[in-house]
Amino acid sequence: MRTRRARPALGTLVEIGVAARGAGASLSLGDAIASAFARIAVAEAQLSRFDPASPIHRFNAAAPGTRIAIGSDAARVLTAALLLHDASDGAFDISLGSGPVGWRCEGGSLLKIAAGTTLDLGGIGKGHAVDCAIATLRAAGVEAGWVNAGGDLRVFGDVALPVHLRDEVRGGVVPFADLRDGAFATSRLPAGHASVAAEECLWADALTKLVVASGDARHPLLERHGAVAWLH
Amino acid sequence: MKIVLTGAVAAASALAPAAAFAVDYLRVDQAARLLFPEADRFDARTIDLDAAQLQSLDRRGVRARSARWQALAARRGEATLGYVVADQVVGKFELIGYAVGIGLDGAVRQVEILSYRESHGGEIRLAAWRRQFAGKTTDSPLRIGDDIANISGATLSCTHVTEGVRRIVAVVDTARKSGALT
Repeated sequence: MRTRRARPALGTLVEIGVAARGAGASLSLGDAIASAFARIAVAEAQLSRFDPASPIHRFNAAAPGTRIAIGSDAARVLTAALLLHDASDGAFDISLGSGPVGWRCEGGSLLKIAAGTTLDLGGIGKGHAVDCAIATLRAAGVEAGWVNAGGDLRVFGDVALPVHLRDEVRGGVVPFADLRDGAFATSRLPAGHASVAAEECLWADALTKLVVASGDARHPLLERHGAVAWLH
Repeated sequence: MKIVLTGAVAAASALAPAAAFAVDYLRVDQAARLLFPEADRFDARTIDLDAAQLQSLDRRGVRARSARWQALAARRGEATLGYVVADQVVGKFELIGYAVGIGLDGAVRQVEILSYRESHGGEIRLAAWRRQFAGKTTDSPLRIGDDIANISGATLSCTHVTEGVRRIVAVVDTARKSGALT
């Protein structure tokens, strides 16, 4: 039996679905889904630039030389962002041009180097939050399910998730693919859209932005992360 | 990862809208029990805002949209635990039904999405399009296309839901302060 729930989170609508609960599941279906939503809220509190308590918000308001303690969510996202920035010759930039070398991630802290550098994890954080929710479902004994944060989605276990694309000019959706054990994300181009499929949603999300920035659906970084891209 | 293309998108042709799409997540009573699991019953309440209350909401930057609202009071014994209000909002391509649980402190406990309808396009603004979903519940689901289809795109934001939640919080607050909602 399939169960799906949706809540507003991450600035969009997040759907969590369970296709198979598993005999050894430690939580009820509803509780497993609720704990996955709770995990997303924890990640959002770390990664949001709007939440005044988040390290990213505090970084953006801080003076140069300030060191801000970060948790494992921010550390994973910032590390991946830096790797993508360097490997893409700066095409992927969470400072959105405000100072790509104005920040540094050192162990458990985020260091502000240059005044004026502000960070926005909107292009990668949602994917990470989806990965976190998937890990929570698995830890609760769920055998198959999916998480979709407004189009940044990931599916695991014995279920093929039909993915549809929205026509954002005229409306309506068209079938695109059946996805198993993987992640998928879509971003807007000046004309049209770019979609990326990858193992993990953080990479699908971030690499979509790379394809948008570079206009290259065969960017060498895609292969390095086991990802495939489409322009449409 | 395994991905099997099912559409014509790979041909780089223009997208041809092919399907509308609808999901029912919860009925209002199911959402109410999730929002207030400790309640032993839910009593229907009608909120009627008068002109002065509507104006006072307006001054707070909240357009009440309607003078009459339906709420459920979550009850346990003789005590009221809080309120559940269900509503619908229209986005560019979507019609979203949702329920808000509000505690006695006036704070939002949780928001549960009840239903999601994705339109072909412009008809989302037509009352006739929206009317086809009136009264549809998980007992009488309207499903078009595949049962678990998921949509990927760039524009979906929950701004309308966020605004709707803010409106409901203000309406419930106003009604409680005037003694019209107990």
